[in-house]
This record gives sequence, structure tokens and C-alpha cells, in this order.
Amino acid sequence: MTGVVLYAVLAAFGVVVGGASGLLGVGGGTLMVPFLTLAVGMSQHAAEATSLLVVLPTAIVASFFLRRRKVGDLALALRIGLLGTLGGVGGALLALALPGNVLRIVFACFLIIVSVRLVRDSLVAR
Amino acid sequence: MATWSSASRLLVIEPRYIAIGALGGVLSGLLGVGGGIVMVPLLVLWARATQRDAHAISLGAIIPISAASVLTYGVAGKVHVLAAIALAAGSIVGARIGTSALARIEERPLKLVFGLFLGAVAVAMLVQAA
Repeated sequence: MTGVVLYAVLAAFGVVVGGASGLLGVGGGTLMVPFLTLAVGMSQHAAEATSLLVVLPTAIVASFFLRRRKVGDLALALRIGLLGTLGGVGGALLALALPGNVLRIVFACFLIIVSVRLVRDSLVAR
Repeated sequence: MATWSSASRLLVIEPRYIAIGALGGVLSGLLGVGGGIVMVPLLVLWARATQRDAHAISLGAIIPISAASVLTYGVAGKVHVLAAIALAAGSIVGARIGTSALARIEERPLKLVFGLFLGAVAVAMLVQAA
């Protein structure tokens, strides 16, 4: 994909990312990073950096709509986020020092653990 | 629901929220995601938030975390700015649709959808890494 077609596809995929982000409470990196590496052909590091730049405005807009609907607790959320910021800087510097494939495997293993736990809870709990 | 005017509460935060924020931040920077996949499960399983509130709190916490990570990556010159602008144009529209759905969906289907989403992504990434 190149030029106009590429950016049209990216914008359309962005709608899907934003929808998933708003519903699932994630920034959307879990969708964008695989898409940018597999479909667009970016390196793992470039895909992660680019997705972070999309996550920020998406989270701001989503939080605005949720606050208006009185879902969640934005004051608490921002406090949690500020505390996580130092960790974020450290993690990003670490990512630049690691090979992309190690990141993929670590990421995938983590997601599987979380997935099994949540699906089990949704089906068995209560 | 806390409000911005409750100044005394702004000074107080439970240790587990500190841990949730820090873990979300580290994995956000390490993996290139907003940290929601870390914070949502911790908010639900540890902080006893409802799934819906956990998703909303996660999105709010992602704002400062991803801002810091963007600055870190930006210094390293890895960001594709035009691709990010195209994606963000779409995702802002999508965020309105997604949050509207979040405000209405029942707790258990939300938990199931979230868990299946993570499982699908994990499988895709393992296939890619293999």
C-alpha cells in the first residue's frame, strides 16, 4: 500500500481502533501494533512508537465522552496515570534496547495469561 | 465518582492504585500499548472495580502514561507522524462509538469480549513471532 490508499486504509482502521478502545478501555496499541507491522510493514519499534501517538488523542476523546456519561472516575484515573508515567519512560527506554522479537513474545505470553483469566471469570464467576 | 473539587481526595491514593499505575506505565513503555491491558485486569481483580468502570479508569490513566511514552519515543525518532495522524482521525470517531457502547453494555458480556479480544491478539502475535 502506498500514498492515498494507505492513508485511507489507516483512517478506516483507525475507526475500528477507536471503537475497540472506547469499549475495551485499552489505548488500541494491541490492535495497531500487529496491523502496522503485518499490513503496513513497519518495524516493531516504529509501529509501537506510532501507535502511542494515536493512543494519546484516542484516550483523551474517549475519556471526555465517558466523563460526560458519568462512567468511571477520571480524577482517580489521572492520578493512577501520573504515577505510571515514570514507569512508562523507563519501559520505553528498555524497549529501544531490546530486539523486536523478544518484545513480541513477552507481549503475547502476557496477553494469554490475562485472556484465560478473564474468559474464565466471565463464564464461571458468581 | 470523585469530582475535581474534592481536593482532599486528590492528595490520597491507595497503594494498590500506585502499583496499578506503575505496572501499567512500565508495560506501556515496554510494549508500545497504552497500558490498558495491564490496568483493566488489575482494576477489576485487585481494586474490585466493575468491568465498565475499570475500562473508563484505564482510558483516563492512559492519557498521562502514553503522553510520557510518546515523548520518549519521539526523542528516538521512531514515530511515523503521517500514519499516526491518519489513524487518529479515524480513532477519534471510533472512540465516540465505542464509549457509547461501553456506557450501555452489561458487565458479563463486556468481560467476555475483553478476554476474547486479548486472547485473539496474543495468538496473532505468537504466530507472527514464530
